[in-house]
Amino acid sequence: MSGLLVVLRGRARTVWTTVGALLMCGLVPGLTAQAPRSTTADGWRLAAPDYALQFPRDHGSHPEYRIEWWYYTGNLEAADSRRFGYQVTFFRIGVDPAPTNPSRWAVRDLHMAHLAVTDISTTQHMTAERFDRGGVGWAGASERTLDVWNGDWRAELDGEAHRLRAADGSFGVDLRLEAGKPPTLHGDEGLSRKGAEPGNASHYYSMTRMPTTGQLRLDGELIDVTGASWMDHEFGTTFLEPGQVGWDWFSLQLDDGTDLMIYEFRRGDGAPDDFSSGTWVGATGAVTRLDRTQFMLVPGRRWSSPTSGAAYPVEWRVEVPSRQAELTVEALVDAQELDTANSTGVTYWEGAVTVRGRIGEREIQGRGYLEMTGYVGRPMSEVFR
Amino acid sequence: MASWSSLPTRLARRCLTRDPVTLFRQFIVRALVRDPRRSLATVAGLTLGVAVVIAIRLANAGSIRGFEAALDVVAGQTSLEIVGAGVGVPDGQLEHLGWLRDYGLVSPLIARTARLRAPDGTEQPLQVLGIDVLRDRPFREYQLVEFARGGRDPSAQELLALLLDSRSVVLTERFATRHGIELGSAVELVIGDRVHDALVRGLLLDEGPARVVDGQLALLDVAVAQLLFDRIGWLDRVEIQLHDATAIDEAEQAIAARLPDGLRVQRPAQRGRQVEKMLAAFHFNLTALSYIALVVGLFLVYNTVAVSVISRRREIGTLRALGATRRRLLGLFLGEAALLAGLGTAVGVPAGWLLAQGAIALTSTTVNALYITSAATVPPLAWFDLLLAGGVAIPLALAAAAIPALEGARVTPIAAVRGADRFASDQRQRMGRVALVAAVLFGLAGWLSTLDPVGGLPLYGLGAALAVIGGGAALVPLLLTWLRRVGRRAFVRWFKVEGMLAHANLSASVGRLTVSVAALVVSLAMLAAIAIMVGSFRDTVTYWVGQTLRADLFVSAAGRGPAGPSPTISSDAERRVAAHPSVVAIDQFQSVDLPYGADGDLIILGAGNFEVLLEHGGLLFKEPESGRDAMARAVGADAVVVSEAFALKQRVAVGETIALETPQGARPFRVEAIYYDYSSDRGLVVMDRSTFERHYGAQRPAGLTVYLDPAADPVTVREELLAGLGPDHRLFINTNATLRAEVLRIFDATFAITYALEAIAIFVAIMGVATTLLTLVLERREELAMLRLVGAGRAQIRRMVVLEAAMLGVVSQALGLAVGVVLSVILIYVINVQSFGWTIQFDLPIWFLVRSTVLVAVATAVAGLYPARVATGFAGTGAR
Repeated sequence: MSGLLVVLRGRARTVWTTVGALLMCGLVPGLTAQAPRSTTADGWRLAAPDYALQFPRDHGSHPEYRIEWWYYTGNLEAADSRRFGYQVTFFRIGVDPAPTNPSRWAVRDLHMAHLAVTDISTTQHMTAERFDRGGVGWAGASERTLDVWNGDWRAELDGEAHRLRAADGSFGVDLRLEAGKPPTLHGDEGLSRKGAEPGNASHYYSMTRMPTTGQLRLDGELIDVTGASWMDHEFGTTFLEPGQVGWDWFSLQLDDGTDLMIYEFRRGDGAPDDFSSGTWVGATGAVTRLDRTQFMLVPGRRWSSPTSGAAYPVEWRVEVPSRQAELTVEALVDAQELDTANSTGVTYWEGAVTVRGRIGEREIQGRGYLEMTGYVGRPMSEVFR
Repeated sequence: MASWSSLPTRLARRCLTRDPVTLFRQFIVRALVRDPRRSLATVAGLTLGVAVVIAIRLANAGSIRGFEAALDVVAGQTSLEIVGAGVGVPDGQLEHLGWLRDYGLVSPLIARTARLRAPDGTEQPLQVLGIDVLRDRPFREYQLVEFARGGRDPSAQELLALLLDSRSVVLTERFATRHGIELGSAVELVIGDRVHDALVRGLLLDEGPARVVDGQLALLDVAVAQLLFDRIGWLDRVEIQLHDATAIDEAEQAIAARLPDGLRVQRPAQRGRQVEKMLAAFHFNLTALSYIALVVGLFLVYNTVAVSVISRRREIGTLRALGATRRRLLGLFLGEAALLAGLGTAVGVPAGWLLAQGAIALTSTTVNALYITSAATVPPLAWFDLLLAGGVAIPLALAAAAIPALEGARVTPIAAVRGADRFASDQRQRMGRVALVAAVLFGLAGWLSTLDPVGGLPLYGLGAALAVIGGGAALVPLLLTWLRRVGRRAFVRWFKVEGMLAHANLSASVGRLTVSVAALVVSLAMLAAIAIMVGSFRDTVTYWVGQTLRADLFVSAAGRGPAGPSPTISSDAERRVAAHPSVVAIDQFQSVDLPYGADGDLIILGAGNFEVLLEHGGLLFKEPESGRDAMARAVGADAVVVSEAFALKQRVAVGETIALETPQGARPFRVEAIYYDYSSDRGLVVMDRSTFERHYGAQRPAGLTVYLDPAADPVTVREELLAGLGPDHRLFINTNATLRAEVLRIFDATFAITYALEAIAIFVAIMGVATTLLTLVLERREELAMLRLVGAGRAQIRRMVVLEAAMLGVVSQALGLAVGVVLSVILIYVINVQSFGWTIQFDLPIWFLVRSTVLVAVATAVAGLYPARVATGFAGTGAR
């Protein structure tokens, strides 16, 4: 979900025009009877129900779709109980599915990557970004299996486990993520709808609880860490619709083995958007889809970023009435904002959180990651237009 | 004039005892003001000399500055760069260069030149950078007008969005304003033979890189640049900005050790040094030439001070009698020289800057034709220029003035007052010594001619030339003495009584005349030598062109870039040329710059179709005699033919093996033959096209030489080809005849500045002769009056003085020619060979020499008119 914010503005404009054109086609009698178009006018494939996810192939890249990301977040702990959060994200943004220029530098895809490490004890939040074109091998992603890289940042498959390496100067991660639970397919068999128009959707799955071991580098010091990670992989071509200003996304790992993913689009009037949704993953891996009526998010205390001026809610109440779940989500460190001026140009908050609350009668604790977009700068719907 | 002598005694005493400044004003300045023409002539002569030296220095600096400005803008914050062997860095290598990120940021670059057709109808050269904005931003700062208005820098993504389209180009605000271009304007980019429609998607603010090349800068995306410049698969270089810029030495070594064969790491400034080195010989010779004008100007100072001394012997006597020391008198005359030189310098430096504006047009024509294309601009005057001019001109002027000033100071009071003393006594007794000096100097010249150049510069050759000039100057008193002995009868026969008088006057003043005549002789010798050298060179080139240029049509694209990448001929254009029914054969010519040898000299690596050349072409081989057989052996083989300049400078002989850098590393090539070439002094190595492609990959050619059916008319075929190209292509097609004319035009433009410099030197020298004659006239005031008394007409007196001037001119020209021939031998066989490495067939341009002799006689006679008028004035008024 989180990757929505990186859609390339210049291209999005033409994509949106295309979507507009498609909508108009839909109004023409005779065409409405036909199946929805499977590609955009400029040749990108639209996310559609006919796609069945298979692994490990679908860990790999899907270059026929315009946008794709691999999102790793996690909470880690050192032997001395120091706690850390980390985020490593690889984005692939399609620009032109078939460039006519035979140059290897001709931009078919752009590759961006974000790295963030939060030292909870010192409240230090370090970020770095990478932005490259594919083609000459400086960044890319395999289509056969998980192998995505940007410079020397890389996520690849090692047996069933994911190897994740990214470092920038004095900080970085070098981690091994066991698969844990099988992939969770969100939405309808992995098709996650984001808007009213059928094509405005993505193929979306998560590895919700990946036992993690490895090393963290902090100010040049190597720290052995263990913990749990969450991986999101999502690809599609068109996503947002007008009026969707931003979103709040939660990935929570509870101590009873339950994992919970929820995202909610915020509309301009402050109301939640109908296409918000979530997924409840039981300890055994049983998956339940939550639609917008089945959960409630209530923002609490806000933290104002001194650099961007955005006021992010860093405390939330998350309620899932069907599960009798009442949870309080709190940022472990308030200042976990990323300013990605050199790549996406979007400022957002992405950080480690702690969870307290109850499910039914039982006291529950947990950890997780929270992403909040659209609190500063242009509304995300405008970013898309 | 009469009032000069009556310096009031009281004043003199006061001056002497109390106030040297007043004395200087009364004695020197007033005299200079009284005779403004002579003073002005002296100052003008020196001004010209200083101006020429400064102009050439500025023009030289300007011609590289244009290149360096382009270099700066391209280099940005780059600490190191990876370059390939001649053809660039293959894209494919980049995957293996990931480790470079350990050292710093890495960015690809294509740096080329193109031309832009603006909406105002003009066509402008542009420095084009093909960049990857995602990588490039730390290297060069780009501020776009539209974003600056919003008070921020564009993000990488926004810049990328602007450049991504293959029609997008970003120009500078300065350039756009100048040519009526706006954001969104449609413009045409002319790259090689192709004309591309482009849209101006952004304008760079008028600061930083946009400013350096006067705004003549365009940005393209690297992919678009590869496509438009026919460089798919290749980069011109990869730039590195070190994380730790202080550790540049270690980083350079470490990277060099890790780079695969075929790639080199260097500092950006190295390219500037290569170009400077390339131009060094050219600039050195030009600078040497410019100093001749200054030296000749110094003769004027000598003359003026001499006149000053001579015309005021009586005052000198008076001053001495009143107790002025010799030292004070010496000071007065040296003060005069310093004043003149100071004025000359003060005016000469800014005049030099103005002259440089003209000179740069001339030199950059040359530099462009020979070496690089760049926006050559005259650099602003620096204090250094004033220091240089003052530091050279004033001490030299003092040295020149010291001779007459010492003579003046030596005057005894009694001799001066009586007028018994005559300046510069007869030098007959010195003749033996002078002859010896001349002989020694000529001997020295011979010996220096045999020595090798120093660092590629003909220092000893120049020494030899100076020795010949010195020897020639030393011959002047001998010649004048000889003239005194034997010339009288001829003068009397040809010019009657005026001739006799003129001869007598000259004979009586051999000592006085020597210096002025020597100056003229030196200038004329230089002119003769240069005329002989250039004439010989031109004949040689004409012959070479006739032998070598055999093809009917020569196809090329517009505009060569700074020191290197030539624009290419597209395959599309080549196909169209080849498809013409009259075309029999095509040779695709390729040329790239390649560093060679331990010093990394930039040589030219050329490739041509040897089979076509063998069948149709006509290289002139120096070695071996059967050059064509040697060339046939080189077809497809790892073998090359090299130009004479290459063989000479790199000391390579036929049969030896040379190592050339290729994308796969250094490879050995056998030298099969040495051929004559006058197109470049950098040295050419040429291989068969198939050999070239095997080592350097398939590259588009820089030009086509086209051989036609003998029945076809080249002019018609040329027009048909051009008409068939359509608006999206533009080729330059020369026929054999127009190319020959073009070669000679470039040749003549190259030497235009040489002649301009020489003309100035001769002008100054003739003025020197005129002032010398004026001196003589002033000295002979009484005699001239006497002549009138005994019945000489004004016309006769005038004729006499003009005759003296013309005689000096003819004598100077005669000796100048003789010395010039010797000098030309040194220029052709020593200095030229050491600087450029060309074989020039010696040839005397008889007609030019005859014409110049007549011209010099007339010019000196005309220059004699002013002293003649002064003389008739004396004669008329019967002064003293």
